Amino acid sequence: MKTVKLTQDQIKKVAFSVIGFVVLVYVYFTFFLGPLNKSRQRMLASMHDKQDKLERSKGDLSKMAKLEIEAKSATSHFAAFKALNPGGAPIAWFPPRIKTFFANEQIDKAVARLGNSISPKEPELADWMKYSWLISLPEADYATLGKAIADLENTEPLLVIEKITIHARPDQPGIQQVEIAVTNVIQKK
Amino acid sequence: MAIHLNLLHEEILEQRQRQRDPLKIGVMVLAGFGALLFLYYMFNAYRTLEIKRRLSAVERNWAKVEPQVTAAQKRVAELEGVIKTTRALDDYMENRFFWAPFLEKISRCVAFNSQITSIDGTVLDENKGISVMIEGVSAGHEPRAAAEELRQLLSEQLRQSYSEVKVEFKTLEDLDTIVTVVGSNMPMARFVLGVTFNQGSATAKPSPAPERKRSAKS
Repeated sequence: MKTVKLTQDQIKKVAFSVIGFVVLVYVYFTFFLGPLNKSRQRMLASMHDKQDKLERSKGDLSKMAKLEIEAKSATSHFAAFKALNPGGAPIAWFPPRIKTFFANEQIDKAVARLGNSISPKEPELADWMKYSWLISLPEADYATLGKAIADLENTEPLLVIEKITIHARPDQPGIQQVEIAVTNVIQKK
Repeated sequence: MAIHLNLLHEEILEQRQRQRDPLKIGVMVLAGFGALLFLYYMFNAYRTLEIKRRLSAVERNWAKVEPQVTAAQKRVAELEGVIKTTRALDDYMENRFFWAPFLEKISRCVAFNSQITSIDGTVLDENKGISVMIEGVSAGHEPRAAAEELRQLLSEQLRQSYSEVKVEFKTLEDLDTIVTVVGSNMPMARFVLGVTFNQGSATAKPSPAPERKRSAKS
């Protein structure tokens, strides 16, 4: 076998060639192909993300259309609940409303006092407040009172009677003194 | 055999040495390899440009749809909120205890020889039940029997609409007072009834108010 003997000068040149090769490979991968690949990966990821969003958006749009139909009754129901109470502080309108209500039921001298107000426990009712009231009716006939309570329960769907106390007046056995503790749910305004 | 004289021996040797120059060969190899790398780079660049073009198309589509999607998502959240709130309010409304039918039942149970003087009713926490204290007096030859009749009638009436009904005497005592009922003098008894029950499955619905409370106190 013929062996190639390299001179000192040739060895140097071979070494330079090898160094040049290494530098070329390094520069190529570090400054050209690497950034290009990174940029391509980023674009691919961004494209997949956008495509996913587009796919999901179709679902969202159809969900909204379906929900609009399903929520029709709930929306009108909700609007009816909101319309039950006028705006402003409940202390300003609830006692007069109760007084008028009982006056229309032939029970005079009705007085409603605010007990307290708390936030409901249900997270769905975060925009609503529970107000406790004490309604005093110093003079009421039992039958009239029963009819008035029935009307109150029917016309105020968000009002709950928590406690009721009826005492016959000693001086007038046919007349009762009544105290009603009620709670109603009112939207925060 | 012909004699071959090489008069350019040194020049030929120099030329051969130039051709075998490692640096020159290295440069040629590097140039070739560099060309291959360049071609590979161009191939990748082309792919990248193609992806960029597709990405631009997708972004254009997204830009068109995005406002609608954002509005739809907002509307969906709003509608879901409305549905949940309405459901919670419906539950609140439907779980109420209606007192009017209960008061009507009491009025139906009170006979001419009894009178109720006080009713204290409370809805227990979390709608776990209803507790009522009923105080009154009864009159008759057997006033205690008249009170017991009221208790039984009340229990029977309440069982028609409510569950777990308990009607029991807390107090039942004779009074010294004599009253006149339908022209006859009769002794009286005072009673306190404790009534507890649950709305149960037979939820009472609001109904017309009681007709009238019968009273027998003279």
